[in-house]
Amino acid sequence: MSKIIRTLLVLTLLTVIIAVAGCSSSQQPAEKPAAAPTEAPSATEAAPAPTEAPTPTEAPAKPAEPTTIIYGLYQEPDVLNPFIASQYAADEVSKMVVEGLVDVDPDGNFYPVLAEEVPTIENGLVSEDGLNVTYHIKKDIVWSDGEPFTCDDVKYTWEIVTTPESGAVNTSGYDQIESITCDDPNTVQIKFKKFYAPYLTLFDSVLPKHATEGSTDMTTWDYNTTGLLGTGPFVLKDWESGDHITLVKNENYRDYPDLPKADQIIVRIIPSREVGKALITSGEIDILWDLSEADVPEFEENPDVVVNKRPGPGTERLLLNLADPTLDATDDPLNHPHPLLADLRVREAIQYGIDKQLIVDELLYGATVVGTSELSIGWAKCDIPPSEFNPDKAKELLDEAGFKDEDGDGVRECHGCKYAEEGTPLKLKIQSTSGNQLREETEQLLVEMMKNIGIEFYIENVPSSELFGSWSSGAFRKHGNFDILMYTTSDKIDPQSHMKGYFHKDSIPTEANNGKGFNYVRWINDRASEALDKAGSTPNLDERKAQYQIACEEIAHDIPHLYLYDRSEIDLTRSNIKGFKVNPWGRQTWNVEEWDKE
Amino acid sequence: MTHYILRRLIYAVPLLILISIIVFFLISLAPGGPMAAFEENPNLTPEDIVRLEEEFGLNQPIYVRYWKWAKRIVVGDWGYSNVTHRPVLEEIGHRLPNTLQLMLVAFSITLLISIPIGLYSALHQYSLFDHVATFFAFVGQAIPIFWFGLILIIIFNVWLNNPVSPHHGFAWSHFTQCADCKPLLPGGGMAPYGVDDPTLGQRIQHMILPVTMLAMFGMGAYTRYMRGQTLEVIYQDYIRTARSKGLSERMVVMRHAFKNALAPVVTIIALDLPGLFGGALFTETIFSWPGMGRLFYRSAQRGDYPLLMGIVMINAVLIIAFNLLADLSYAYLDPRIRYD
Repeated sequence: MSKIIRTLLVLTLLTVIIAVAGCSSSQQPAEKPAAAPTEAPSATEAAPAPTEAPTPTEAPAKPAEPTTIIYGLYQEPDVLNPFIASQYAADEVSKMVVEGLVDVDPDGNFYPVLAEEVPTIENGLVSEDGLNVTYHIKKDIVWSDGEPFTCDDVKYTWEIVTTPESGAVNTSGYDQIESITCDDPNTVQIKFKKFYAPYLTLFDSVLPKHATEGSTDMTTWDYNTTGLLGTGPFVLKDWESGDHITLVKNENYRDYPDLPKADQIIVRIIPSREVGKALITSGEIDILWDLSEADVPEFEENPDVVVNKRPGPGTERLLLNLADPTLDATDDPLNHPHPLLADLRVREAIQYGIDKQLIVDELLYGATVVGTSELSIGWAKCDIPPSEFNPDKAKELLDEAGFKDEDGDGVRECHGCKYAEEGTPLKLKIQSTSGNQLREETEQLLVEMMKNIGIEFYIENVPSSELFGSWSSGAFRKHGNFDILMYTTSDKIDPQSHMKGYFHKDSIPTEANNGKGFNYVRWINDRASEALDKAGSTPNLDERKAQYQIACEEIAHDIPHLYLYDRSEIDLTRSNIKGFKVNPWGRQTWNVEEWDKE
Repeated sequence: MTHYILRRLIYAVPLLILISIIVFFLISLAPGGPMAAFEENPNLTPEDIVRLEEEFGLNQPIYVRYWKWAKRIVVGDWGYSNVTHRPVLEEIGHRLPNTLQLMLVAFSITLLISIPIGLYSALHQYSLFDHVATFFAFVGQAIPIFWFGLILIIIFNVWLNNPVSPHHGFAWSHFTQCADCKPLLPGGGMAPYGVDDPTLGQRIQHMILPVTMLAMFGMGAYTRYMRGQTLEVIYQDYIRTARSKGLSERMVVMRHAFKNALAPVVTIIALDLPGLFGGALFTETIFSWPGMGRLFYRSAQRGDYPLLMGIVMINAVLIIAFNLLADLSYAYLDPRIRYD
């Protein structure tokens, strides 16, 4: 044999050695549980043939198999610290470990977690002006390492989050707090500088003072990964980057040993949703997170898999630019109107021309409902009737607005219209995120529907990073250089910052305010702006709801956003999983202590 | 020879600097960036955004950022990921062994199968074997790799059950609906979940499908290469000379034809080796394999430039090194080539 063949053989051998070495080095030797072999549901393993047949007398000594639930996420959390994480998937994992004072149930109501009750004006825990909020902490709560949980932890959380160098992503609300006093370990008294409407959403996570004290730069903490510590039903055991995260039950949990019902939750990172769907079909995973409506039909007939769905706060909509798209971030849309879209009759015609129900039935398989308003669920839900599909009315409105097709090419042109130059065709660019099949199909239907009433829509999709780019990177959405955009945004359980950010006249991003706000369509409506100001300045929920209703009605009238359909929160579970309950407001692990496997 | 190597190494320095500049600027030009993840959050005020931009160092002009990065890299400080806040080398260190494990096994299997097939095909040109091999080589090249991986999962994980599980044999779980059925092969991951110390057998089971996917793709190319090179060689005069000397066919093939046909292939192998460190994005995505490909993709998506630069620079160094190695191996295998 020649040298080369020998070299090749050596190379191959080396390869195998390195590979095997890679195998063993990549797996940290984890602590072995003392009890009998952990028989986790390894999908691959053939039922282990016992080497010796156990004698009947020995058999009863074997403890029950631990319950392991495998939860498939297609995103990997970046960090688990809720104050610096930027991905939804991070909270999905951290919620199993970290708790807050109160949380939100699937119906959109707050319920106490570490607090004894939810503070309101009625129970006297919130002052009439809303500036003083008191939480009573449940007795005898301990962190999973056994240290007591006290008011000091809450105070520390506030202090860290508002420290400039802490790296906290989101400080809004916390920066409105003037002081926190801890007269006794179980009473938290919070004093706000000025009224902050979403006060209940603060402290949805609390940091452990004793375990993280030292550096005020949160990004350097061990807490972000393997050192995560909370009061919740599970504790983090290990995190194999890119592969899985193991959580085992917290023996210091307040309801232990009744809860949590499962012994172990393994979060598996499955980067492709298609593969996730195959794996839940084969039973290799028990729960699959976050699917889309189009995935529903293929599982409806499968008795092994349950489709859990519930309408969520997100709504797919068209954003209709009211300002001149050739200008860079104009602060005066009224004097620089969009030549075509600034005329209300054109926007109305577009809405009349869209058969929203057809989109829901054909593209979303009837798994959701048509969009009507920004606040479609929750305590602040707006009451707005669905728009009418009426192409004849649309054509009438366009005729009236001075758009007629005189050259016979199927597209109307301006003949005596309000803002555009004579002869300008009624041609609008629609943009969305590229590579999203549902959106592309929706756009094609819209193009057809618009063609029917004499409007030409043309599609020019861009990658989502470009569409959602920042002010400083010059993103066209922020700078107002578009006709029509299509995407989904979701309001939060407290809609104030979302509503104000998108619809208040002061939220138009301009040079002067350094791109602040999300009113990309540059909609100016005094009545809506006033209603949003009022809604943000009172702790009275009925009053706030009434103000949001006013804002929603103005939106429905002026159509700066045209709502197409509501998005549903959809998760799959194997049929033997019990206790899973979709929560459109937060993380699906909100009630993980109730999860069980039959 | 030493001079040649030295010269090549010295040339590599400006090349690496140039690569780092181009890549750094390209990354900054890409839309999105590390801030994109925060833009959609209505709770963030512009002050928050400015504060975060400062934290990531994005408020400085690009040449300042590059200079800062370059100064640190020279002294061996690779920086921290913008996304996970962990050291860049630690992030890479977590993924690299996984990637090497998968890629090296797949690559060796690819070579062990495709080189003999290519050789045999060439020696029996236009035989039935040759036609079948050619057919599969083209199929392997033409199949979309992403689709092929999904099909593997559907067949071996969803449809076929493990015969040792309670329901025996060829049960199509779609129709039999047995709750106790276990899939024949795992559909992803490196080892069974919840098992603290997986056995070698379990690890091998987890490698079967991803290795098949990678090998299927690589085999097509290498079979064709080996076949083409062998065909070129066997009509050379020295082969005829060897035959006329009365050497056995085995000697002719192994000693003269194979060695000479292999020389260019070894060069290609050397050029392919740095790619193994980069991982395979599609395979890793489909089989949930925590490797370098996905790490690279994620950091590109999130505009995580410290990590991105780290991966790119490591790859650049490897490519330069293996290129040199390929040139040297060529000189070693083919005495007609000299570097002075």
